[in-house]
Amino acid sequence: MVSLTRRRFGQFGLAAAATLAAPAYIRRSIAAGDVRMLTWKGMGSDFPDAVEKFRAETGIGVVHDYFTSELEMLTKLRTNPGAYDVALVNFVFVDQAAKQKLIEPLDVSKLTQFQYLQPKLRDSKYTKNGDTYWGVAWTWGSTGIISNTTKIKPTPDSIQALWDPAHAGRVTFRDDPVEAVSWAAIATGQDMNFPADLKLVKEKLLALKPQIQTFWKSSGECEQMFAAETVDISPMWSGSAGRMRKRDIPVDYFAPKEGGIGWFDTLAVAAGTSNQEGALKFIDYLQSPEFFIGWDERGGAPAPANLETQKQLPDDSFNKTVLGDPKHFESLIFMEDLGDEKRQEYLDLWEDVKATFG
Amino acid sequence: MSSSIRLLGQALVTLVIGFLYLPILVMIAMAFNKSPYYQLPIEWSLRWFNDLLADQRLQEAAVNSVLIATATAVIAGALGTLAALGLARYRFFGRGFLKALLLPPIAIPWVIIGCAMLILAFWTGIGRGLHAILISHVALSLPYAIMVVGSRIAGQGTACEEAAATLGANPRQVALRITLPLIAPGIVAASLFSFATSFDMFVISYFLAAPGQTTLPVEIYASIKEGFTPVINVVSTILILVSFVLAVLISRLHDFGTKQ
Amino acid sequence: MTGAIVENRQSADRASAWRGYALVSPAYLWLLLAVFLPLSAMVYFSFLSSNVFDSGSAQFTLGNYLSFIRRPVYPILLWRSVLLGIIVTALCCFIGLFAGLALARALPGRARALVFMLILLPFWTSGLVRVFSWVVVLRTGGVLDSFVNWLVPGAGPTGILYTYTAIVIGLVHAYLPYMIITCYLSALAIDDSILDAARSLGATWPRVFRRVVLPLMLPGLGVGAVLTFVPVVGSFMEPRLLGGRSGTVFGTIIEDQFTAVFNWPLGAALSFIMLAVVLVIMAISAPLLRDRREMLK
Repeated sequence: MVSLTRRRFGQFGLAAAATLAAPAYIRRSIAAGDVRMLTWKGMGSDFPDAVEKFRAETGIGVVHDYFTSELEMLTKLRTNPGAYDVALVNFVFVDQAAKQKLIEPLDVSKLTQFQYLQPKLRDSKYTKNGDTYWGVAWTWGSTGIISNTTKIKPTPDSIQALWDPAHAGRVTFRDDPVEAVSWAAIATGQDMNFPADLKLVKEKLLALKPQIQTFWKSSGECEQMFAAETVDISPMWSGSAGRMRKRDIPVDYFAPKEGGIGWFDTLAVAAGTSNQEGALKFIDYLQSPEFFIGWDERGGAPAPANLETQKQLPDDSFNKTVLGDPKHFESLIFMEDLGDEKRQEYLDLWEDVKATFG
Repeated sequence: MSSSIRLLGQALVTLVIGFLYLPILVMIAMAFNKSPYYQLPIEWSLRWFNDLLADQRLQEAAVNSVLIATATAVIAGALGTLAALGLARYRFFGRGFLKALLLPPIAIPWVIIGCAMLILAFWTGIGRGLHAILISHVALSLPYAIMVVGSRIAGQGTACEEAAATLGANPRQVALRITLPLIAPGIVAASLFSFATSFDMFVISYFLAAPGQTTLPVEIYASIKEGFTPVINVVSTILILVSFVLAVLISRLHDFGTKQ
Repeated sequence: MTGAIVENRQSADRASAWRGYALVSPAYLWLLLAVFLPLSAMVYFSFLSSNVFDSGSAQFTLGNYLSFIRRPVYPILLWRSVLLGIIVTALCCFIGLFAGLALARALPGRARALVFMLILLPFWTSGLVRVFSWVVVLRTGGVLDSFVNWLVPGAGPTGILYTYTAIVIGLVHAYLPYMIITCYLSALAIDDSILDAARSLGATWPRVFRRVVLPLMLPGLGVGAVLTFVPVVGSFMEPRLLGGRSGTVFGTIIEDQFTAVFNWPLGAALSFIMLAVVLVIMAISAPLLRDRREMLK
């Protein structure tokens, strides 16, 4: 046994002092004039090259902070007034964020790309209130179904495929109460957002029991399952489906004929920003074809709201071949703001269902 | 002890080490695997190492995490040792209650403590940042540290200290020459556990990090939508290998728990 | 005369009590500021009808606690979590006891120091990364399947991933080091002379183990059990990622309240109910773990 002599004890004290001082050396990477962006991790804008390019063009740096759910995004804006300049706000939450004064009205005259945006998204009831724009449509996507092309032939076209006994034990499902209720509502022919008969929805979800192998939360988990062929069919986001195809995972993506789920994300200026000009410049940069095509090529990008960008996408881009089809866009049912009570109701229902699966 | 029992013991230790390292070896192998989906068979590639080299943010996160974990290990190890000694060697009012108080921080899921700390940081104006992360990591490692050191002290009588005191050693000498070496294995274990706890505290770091600041847990927890790539395996592999080398070096110098 | 002695002893007791307070106060002050203060805020929230940040409409209510009774799914899942905790703790106790003992007594000094560090090193990585590695090991066609089929050609898939067994494996892996180390620390204190004495008096090894070794290791076993059982009851990551359909436990329900709906009051109430249940279980099992060194006398 080593004896702790006084000298050794002194060394220990020195080490302790050094480690106490350590945080002081940790680099604070925010500089004055930087744009501070609140977004999902991996939503294109935090790619180092993209940030560097923007800095080269404008001299403005960008710092990212992340949220892991839309409700958390609202909480972060609320509890850190003035800490952010730009926020990625899902279209469903733009109105709520505006009413709670978490985001500022946009001066769209400063946005050079604004004129090219898909009018249905740009001027939708979610983003525009009277003449005021609160969020500027950035990317859109669908939630549909992916199926393994070698195991399931031909590729189905109906949501009922998830309930097909032929795929028993080979289905995975996103662990998300709102999406689960949405799919079951579509499958039972009801309104996707506010199904009238929740009992029917619950029964439909309970019938998934023999089908489901497991649930997923991040798209990466689901991609792994398909790559390892532990599952054959799952609901999936269009962006991730495109990335899987790019990486040669044998999957087909389709929006069910009963309806696929549509969504879009907007960029908004956070209330209390001290850098409105930089914020708008960054938003404009993120809308530009130059940024977006780079993202699309790396994989995982949803479709651009900018029609000019859409035109310039490479011909083999998933966002052109599948989502570029106008019929795809038309077949989507867009989500609505459910409100806290409905969300809790759906969560309770989903938990009841999952508990019986054990 | 009979040699057959000794052999049985060594076999058991080998088996347990094998079990503990199975996923670690897989993690290391996958750092060198080309597939982003951890697919078999392994196609050897250094692409994820290249990705890490290009990723300033992740490097920064790794360095920050090591610094915070080291600071946590030192502070929690020191405070935990003092508290464990106090709880084990002295009788005072409220001792049982203080021991019971160690359970809530372990039992309450971290997401709740994280939210609670976020609110408190907001209300009191402490703010988010590395100071807040360090404070919370130390606090949440303390129960583990206190209990681990405590389990070492519990097996130890006070005979040696009493003997030394009888022989004329002053209290400081007793503490430094007798008590500390006796419980040293416990302190080392407590510090190493605190380091591990800090490294693993993804939810809380995530809630308390200031915008733009990053640690590994923050990077990992924030990838909840997309999932993370094998670059995380690369970072973990480098950290494990470096600590492995350190461990071999240290174990040549120190001998934790050889009998006196 | 006797009065003076009593007074002397009282003042000695008081001095030692003060020394005790002095030793524990830095740690507990830190805990108070960083954990107990925020947790008391959470206790307060758990009695509110909605989030504090939502427009000040929050009112006092017991509803969050009552929903535990109102919705049968909560007690069912809590029971499931407690059962999981018991299974994992029992397995860890069994393996950890013998592994800790072997580490302390069957290895030469140098090797022991190295193995001691080796047991802790794997945990210097994120738990999430380790769980994902288990997925790669256990899944169909994964590392384990490849190994089994190499050993026994045509054995077919083991199919462990997405079962209850997978959850138990992942959790035992996550908490076993605590148990081994605390048992090891206790085992170090066993004096060779006691064992020799017992042996020379004609006791068989199993008897020595039961009557001498086990009682001496109880403190370590007890601490290890606490450090395993308490967090396993609240675990959510291992069940969710490894358990497949059977991965819904009380911990995932609590997490959902924070991530899916942001109902902090309900999430807090559920976790305090869980804490209460855990404390009751600890109180009931405390006599089992009491230091039994007096048995030796």
